[in-house]
Amino acid sequence: MKAVMIIFNQALTERVDYILSQLRITGYTQFPLVYGVGSKGGEPRMGTHAWPEMNSSYLTIVEDDMVDLLLKYVEKLDHVNEENGIRAFVWDISKMY
Amino acid sequence: MSIFSSAVEKPISTMMVFLAIVVIGVYSYITLPVDQYPKIDPPYITVMTTYPGANASDIEQNITKQLEDQLNSVDDLDEMTSTSSDNLSVITLKFEWGINLDNASNDVRDAVDKTMDALPDDVDRPTIMRMSTSMMPILVYAVTADESYTGLYKILDDKVVMSLNRVDGVASAYVAGMPERVVYIDLDPNKLDAYGLSIDRIGGTILAENRDVPGGNIKVGIEEYTLRVEGEFDDSEQIGDVVLAIGDGKTVKVSDIAQVRDTLRDISLEQLVERENGAILLVTKTSDANAVQVASDSKVVIEEAMKTLPSDIHFEMITDNSDFIIKAINNLTDTLFYALLSVVIVVFVFLGRWRSTFIIAMTIPISLVVAFIYLAVTDGSLNTISLMSLSIAIGMVVDDAIVVLENITKHVDRGSRPKEAAKYGTNEVWTSVIVTTLVTIAVFFPLTLLPGMMGIFFKPLGWIICISVTTSTVTAISLTPMLCSKILRLREKDQDKGKKYSFYNWSQRMLDSLDNFYERIVKWVLKNKTVTIVSMTLLFGASLLLAKLISTEFFPQNDQSTLTVYAKMQQGQRVEETKRISMQIDSVIRANVPELRILTTSYGSEESASFASMMSTTGSNIMNMRVRVVELKDRDRSVFEIGDDIRKMLKQFPEVIEYRVQFGQNGSTGNTVDLEIFGHDFDATANFALEAAAEMKKIPGAEDVIISRGDDKTELQLYLDREKLARHGLTTAGVGSMVRTSIYGYRNSKYKEEGEEYDIIVRLKEEFRHSISEVENFIITDGYGQKVRLKELGEIREGYSPPSITRKSKQRYIKVTVTPGEDATMGDIADAMKEYVSNVKLPQGITSLYVGGTYEDQQESFQGIILLFILAMLLVYIVMAAEFESFKMPFIIILAIPFAFTGVLLSLVLAQVTMSIVSALGCLMLVGIVTKNGIVLIDYTNLMRERGYRLYDAITMACRSRLRPVLMTSLTTMLGMLPMALSLGEGAETWRPMGISVIGGMIFSTIVTLIITPAVYAATDKSGSRDKKKSEQAQYRFMDEFDAERDLPEHKKNK
Repeated sequence: MKAVMIIFNQALTERVDYILSQLRITGYTQFPLVYGVGSKGGEPRMGTHAWPEMNSSYLTIVEDDMVDLLLKYVEKLDHVNEENGIRAFVWDISKMY
Repeated sequence: MSIFSSAVEKPISTMMVFLAIVVIGVYSYITLPVDQYPKIDPPYITVMTTYPGANASDIEQNITKQLEDQLNSVDDLDEMTSTSSDNLSVITLKFEWGINLDNASNDVRDAVDKTMDALPDDVDRPTIMRMSTSMMPILVYAVTADESYTGLYKILDDKVVMSLNRVDGVASAYVAGMPERVVYIDLDPNKLDAYGLSIDRIGGTILAENRDVPGGNIKVGIEEYTLRVEGEFDDSEQIGDVVLAIGDGKTVKVSDIAQVRDTLRDISLEQLVERENGAILLVTKTSDANAVQVASDSKVVIEEAMKTLPSDIHFEMITDNSDFIIKAINNLTDTLFYALLSVVIVVFVFLGRWRSTFIIAMTIPISLVVAFIYLAVTDGSLNTISLMSLSIAIGMVVDDAIVVLENITKHVDRGSRPKEAAKYGTNEVWTSVIVTTLVTIAVFFPLTLLPGMMGIFFKPLGWIICISVTTSTVTAISLTPMLCSKILRLREKDQDKGKKYSFYNWSQRMLDSLDNFYERIVKWVLKNKTVTIVSMTLLFGASLLLAKLISTEFFPQNDQSTLTVYAKMQQGQRVEETKRISMQIDSVIRANVPELRILTTSYGSEESASFASMMSTTGSNIMNMRVRVVELKDRDRSVFEIGDDIRKMLKQFPEVIEYRVQFGQNGSTGNTVDLEIFGHDFDATANFALEAAAEMKKIPGAEDVIISRGDDKTELQLYLDREKLARHGLTTAGVGSMVRTSIYGYRNSKYKEEGEEYDIIVRLKEEFRHSISEVENFIITDGYGQKVRLKELGEIREGYSPPSITRKSKQRYIKVTVTPGEDATMGDIADAMKEYVSNVKLPQGITSLYVGGTYEDQQESFQGIILLFILAMLLVYIVMAAEFESFKMPFIIILAIPFAFTGVLLSLVLAQVTMSIVSALGCLMLVGIVTKNGIVLIDYTNLMRERGYRLYDAITMACRSRLRPVLMTSLTTMLGMLPMALSLGEGAETWRPMGISVIGGMIFSTIVTLIITPAVYAATDKSGSRDKKKSEQAQYRFMDEFDAERDLPEHKKNK
């Protein structure tokens, strides 16, 4: 099992939802509002006067064979318009209840 | 912090806030006056003018017409009708409802002032009265006496009437037919002739002698005196001593040429109580006074007075309006209590737990008590309408609390602590609770906007329901969670399972099997959508045919245990003959009406136009009867059946030309249909009215057919020869006034005794004016001082004149009034009458025909209700469309409304109840309740759909889970109305139709909602959601190449 954290501009929320539903990923936790800055370019998303936009984030735990499929469509979504920005990070799950 | 968390965190403060509301509410309840209906200020102003001695035509030409011309221009005038009869002109102005009557009275007064110059000189100043139905007597007593009968009137007047008139709110107290004291000076024309005196001169002398003149002050020494010339008579004997002339050293006194009689006015009205001589004491109240209060105050006064009266004088109550009101209100209060009880039982059956039931029940008194505060603040009263509204509200106010409690219980059952469960449970449902309340308000708020008379009745209803429902919502999200947090107990999951006889387990089992049964029905319906929808529509269509079987009525009449009988016999019949026939009628009624308690009869007429004569028509050929029957619970027949019986008896008397039987006090607002015949020519209209009346009598169920204008009566007409008049230096006016003083008399002077004033009437002795030849021999002094006999100036002919002339909007008209009998209604009669009007050929002289009367008001009111329906529907649509964010969903819900009417029609036919304003109002209420059920179903189905269930699954699940709430709200409303529908006591006629129509409508519409809503939802939704998927795909192009079958790993494919 792998944990995938997807962080993206909140304007992309419905499209990310669509990816998850199409891939039949049913379990996830959403952090509706998160602040942050990318390390490779991109605008800060701070919800301040200077940087008013904000990010949203999903953390989903999936089977190993789903990771590539998920990342593929995250990347595709990123290419639709790179100004929005979407990133996915994957790490291992060692134990689970 | 939200309202419910504060409430849960601070239970004591919450409790105190509600306690305060209850305390204020209970205080308001105690101080609220009791009345039958909300306070009505009917927009009627009456202008009454007396011109003694004039006949109807004179009155019409000289007074009514003049006044009408001016009054016609008064602002906001709706309708003007007038009656000109002998001696009296009565103009009734009906204004628009809801205008300021003070301003209107002022305008009327101005108009009358402008007319004053145009009126004849000896006309009394017109009296302007605000006439209203509440001026009808609220208390009527029959007074009997043995030895004291001769002095009865005087005793009553001194000891009872005087003190009654001082009671706050009493408009007038009077003894019907009470003889007045007058001083007659009966002159002998031969002696007048011998002494060369005229009546005018004698009258003038008496007037001049009967004077006190203040002479100013004089100072004598250190004292100051006022000087007065004392001439007023202290004793009527003194009038005889007035010196009229001195001739040849001899004085001529009044007593020399006339007989002075200090006596009672010659009257011919006789009053019988239980066939014995008696008197009728009537007490009326001012329109804004409270009937119950005035009646109880008056009774105290009469009790007090009775102590000082001779012991043989007895009072027997004939009519006590307040008694009926109190009984009706008590009856309705009982109904309210039973409603509360049945609602609590329903809640208990469904929830199966005492604690929950208690929490729900708490919201009822709080919501109701706030309605009392509203009533107290707006100067309202506890009346039929306000209590009816509360009965309606009882079933509705528990709904919100139930929703909240259910959700909290769900959390508690999951093991949350009651306090947390209360907070989070309320948070989840509070918005939907508010939305359902908004729908109810959308239906009832338009009621508060109703104009006119309907508004007076139904504004309070609208407000009370809006206010109590709003309060119930506030209570549901504050008090209910607080009580839940304190009262609900955490249960171990399987606690009840072991108990075999637990009511909770039993009721839940029963309800579970009901759920399963309903689920099966829904599944069948979904499979056979078209069949269901088509058959339901056919059913609705078929039910519309039932409408033909229902008769309409304006406002249900109440059985007040009293009725009045009016019978008219041959015009010109002697009083003795009227008495003989009256006694026969009396005997027949006595023999055939075993329910009779007291019967009073009066016949004959009062001479002058008095206040009492406005209340009832009198005449020497007219009999008026008041009948009181025993209490409602002691008899099997309704007063209406008895009335019908009496009508049959009256038909047996060939002498009785016209008769009318009326019920209760509000005779003037009874249910009548009028045929109005307009036309100037008396003969033409009278003949046509007779013809029409004969036709009307043929209509089945038509009773009391009355022509408003009586038969012409004979009169003597004096035609003067103008040439002869001129030769004698006389004019018609001069001769006319001389004739008038001879017969009617010279009445300018008043005799005063003990603060009371009595007329002094100077006229010829009766024996010199009781035949045509006597009148012809009247001696007139001509312009040259010569004496001529009246017959030398002209001749007396016999003629006919109408006894009264009625006009509407300045046009003469005759009304043929028809009252529907026991087995007919106004609608039937009006239909028959309309058919007659459209078929009949109008003869020469008839300008137009018109069907009016109470029927007209009924039509207007029903139109108002239909408008209200449309308004309510629109508002409901708006609220629902906003809630569901859909144009389509509200339609699915509104679809169930027509079926409610099917239920109403069915129940009205089965229960043999008429369609009246009250049952129409019941229909209006159904709109609110029915939509509420629909909302519950649709809302949950939408929820299930959003959760991703397939259409049919979503519908089935939603229906199954919402069955209980729907049944519960419907049952609480139905059972809340049940006591109303079954009520039989005093006043029940008013609210039974409401109960019956709501229950019938509810049963039917609930069943239909449960069946047709899923079918229609399924039928309309299908195509919509497939399109939705396609359009969604189009938006997410970046995933076009994705194919679930190809790309997904095996373990995902089956999900």
